[in-house]
Amino acid sequence: MKLILVAVALAALVAAPWIVTDPFYVHLMIMVLMWTVLGASWNVVGGFAGQVSFGHSAFLGTGAYTTMILYLNMGIAPWYGIVLGGLVAAVIALPIGLICFRLRGPYFALSTLAVAEIIRLVALNWESLTNGPVGLLITTLPPVTLAGTALDWESKTPFYYIIAVLAVGALVATSLLARSRLGAYLLAVRDDIDSAEAIGINTVQVRVLALALSAFLAGVGGGFYAMYLRYIDPDAVFSIPLSVEMVFIPVVGGLTTVMGPFIGAVFLVSLGETFRTHFLTGHLIFYGLFMMVAIRYMPEGIWGRLRLMVANRWGVRNA
Amino acid sequence: MAPTSSFTPEIYYMETLVQSIVSGVLTGSLYAMIGVGLTIVFGVMRIINMAHGDMVMLGMYGAFWSHVAWKMDPFLSIILWVPAGFVGGVVVFRFLLRKIVPGGELNTLLYTAGLSLFVANLALLVWTGDYRTIKLPYAIMPLRPLGISVPIPLAIAFAMAILLTAGLFWFLVHTDTGRAIRATSQEPEAAALMGISVGRISMITFGLGTALACGAGVLLAPSLYLYPTVGEILVAKCFVIVVLGGLGSVPGAIAGGLLLGLAESLGAVYVSVPYKDAIGFVLFLLVLLFRPAGLFGEGKS
Amino acid sequence: MLELKGLTKSFGGLRAVTDLSFTVEKGAIVGLIGPNGSGKTTVFNLVAGFLPPSAGQVLLEGKNLVGLKPYAITRKGVARTFQTVKPFRQLSVMENVTLAAFLRFPMRRHAEAEASRILEKVGLKGKIKLPANDLTLVDQKRLEIARALATGPKLLLLDEPMGGLNATEVDLAAHLINDICADGVTIIWVEHVLRAIMNTSHRVIVINYGAKVADGTPREVVENPDVIAAYLGKRAKPHAAD
Repeated sequence: MKLILVAVALAALVAAPWIVTDPFYVHLMIMVLMWTVLGASWNVVGGFAGQVSFGHSAFLGTGAYTTMILYLNMGIAPWYGIVLGGLVAAVIALPIGLICFRLRGPYFALSTLAVAEIIRLVALNWESLTNGPVGLLITTLPPVTLAGTALDWESKTPFYYIIAVLAVGALVATSLLARSRLGAYLLAVRDDIDSAEAIGINTVQVRVLALALSAFLAGVGGGFYAMYLRYIDPDAVFSIPLSVEMVFIPVVGGLTTVMGPFIGAVFLVSLGETFRTHFLTGHLIFYGLFMMVAIRYMPEGIWGRLRLMVANRWGVRNA
Repeated sequence: MAPTSSFTPEIYYMETLVQSIVSGVLTGSLYAMIGVGLTIVFGVMRIINMAHGDMVMLGMYGAFWSHVAWKMDPFLSIILWVPAGFVGGVVVFRFLLRKIVPGGELNTLLYTAGLSLFVANLALLVWTGDYRTIKLPYAIMPLRPLGISVPIPLAIAFAMAILLTAGLFWFLVHTDTGRAIRATSQEPEAAALMGISVGRISMITFGLGTALACGAGVLLAPSLYLYPTVGEILVAKCFVIVVLGGLGSVPGAIAGGLLLGLAESLGAVYVSVPYKDAIGFVLFLLVLLFRPAGLFGEGKS
Repeated sequence: MLELKGLTKSFGGLRAVTDLSFTVEKGAIVGLIGPNGSGKTTVFNLVAGFLPPSAGQVLLEGKNLVGLKPYAITRKGVARTFQTVKPFRQLSVMENVTLAAFLRFPMRRHAEAEASRILEKVGLKGKIKLPANDLTLVDQKRLEIARALATGPKLLLLDEPMGGLNATEVDLAAHLINDICADGVTIIWVEHVLRAIMNTSHRVIVINYGAKVADGTPREVVENPDVIAAYLGKRAKPHAAD
């Protein structure tokens, strides 16, 4: 049964740009999928490991800048750059984790905010590397031929498929994590750190690993962001609002679930982007509103609540 | 007129130093006021109010609109907006936050983050993102006591910030309600046993915190560019202050605010302008790691 | 199996544990008793790595454990329970124990099988799907022990496992402790329910004000005048609240 649903969903995913041709809606789908990747990234560390980070744009930005710099300075095509961006982000997650994980709960959250701000300021000022506040711009993407036809980078379709692959990859990775020993250990750390230590879990190692994985996904998302939007600057990409959006989407969608980030992205990004085209600004108002409603009435998120409702109906007692 | 040849480097450096110290203390006093508001709320209820910066923003816009609509001098309008802030805070706590707090610190953090985003974006929609300024006719030229440049609005703000903060301090020490607030902040269970209504105290404290934030916003309005998302960076700095001083400690927040003001001002002159913001955050991380109770506090007021 | 040498812990000016030394032989059940506030839980925290000692050594089969993090000490074969139970509240009973079993069985299948076995042993078999938070106190204590056992310890530290249990439950718990010992696990347990600890332990160590007062069989300890003084002396002091 589940397999059929997955197959149908994948088929819909593949077919979508042929059915929906309005460029705005394709853009919307791309944004939803991109935020699925970013939301899945935060879900690893904020959901599974229970460590609320308000500085995840640091990893997004690192991925974005790595991709840009490798392409503009060294001619490495963005699709490789995206993966490398993820890896660089994962690497910087190691010292960040070792520093910040000494703190717990809200203190950890604030320290991640501080780290992200420091990185933003460094990016703003290290002009020889990042071009400072001027930012970096991609004018042309490398020509690619697939099955005889050249990819049209002016259309949104190639971008759609790239992000679709990344999004499915992110969700599959989350699913594998959830079933793995590491995933179980993360839930233990989330629940009670001392007890986790008492049963032999190296909680620092486990959290740093989670952060590295999370950073990789965020870096990949950032690399795509750079490739799709073609322009980045420190204030856009290392910003607090981006960090905050990365938190809100999985929380509203459903933490510790695989599909939560996708559901959250569907709700928040669709509403936000649609709102933005009409009003140009203030679209994050929905994020704030949904977050407040979620924490008050549905802390398990939209997807979490749906699952509970389905489980209760079918008489399955969930832990 | 002193001949330029007697303008020795030492005097120049001395003047620059004094100037930046003065600037630092002036801005620091306002940071302190904002920080105190945040810290008393944390002390009593363990709430980390991410929306605190947006309450400052609302104070700023309040002063702006009462100036534009009723020609009210912003410094006078504090009489209007501080009580309004108190009432607003009480309402927000009573109807929104009260049910959230039992869910834990992190849930409350996320909730107030949501509130912050909501308020800031509502302001963006309603008031647009255009930068606003308040021009005061008596504030064009700065004062020059002893050759140090002191902008008038900042000087007035400084004086009033001190007054208001001192007022709060007096309130905390000399009134029953104030003492109840301090007791609840230190030992909530003992306070409850002594008959203190923790719910009522929480409400009042949150109102006070918001009142201080709005007040600081009103005082800052003539000196800064106003835009709806100013709360974002302010709240980040607030946390630096409050952690530096020890979460929950009022004297700590005051000291922390002054320290941050000084660090930024001196940093701008002696380190470099662009990195001055980073100084606060680096300091913040160092304190969190090595002296988590704050530079001064046991973490309690 | 375990030897404490000159173990000392000071908090500021307060000496919680003073120059404590004793040995525990392999396969024994050793009870650790003493009046309230005598430092018993502190000793556990020191041995299990949750607190660093101010001085002294903790030797497990000759190797010093001091300085190791709690998870490392667990991996060396020392498991502990907490006085106030700390289950993973949002997870199921089964998942709680499976997590601990993962230490020796990285594959989920095997970890779950081991968890099942242990849960049956402690008597929680019928409740494995329940969220840990929904259990009664007795069952939560059972879960705490099951979780510690799942790490496959050589030495098990039980911190007041019988606190809050009624007489029948106490007897069942004593039975379980004997079973665990029969499986080859060495046990040190802290307890206030003196009847149980005296009946079940092979040896008893009494501490007061962080220092050893007596060390011998339950019989010897009961008749030891210093022990009687320690308990009576404590009771003779006026208490502000009891």
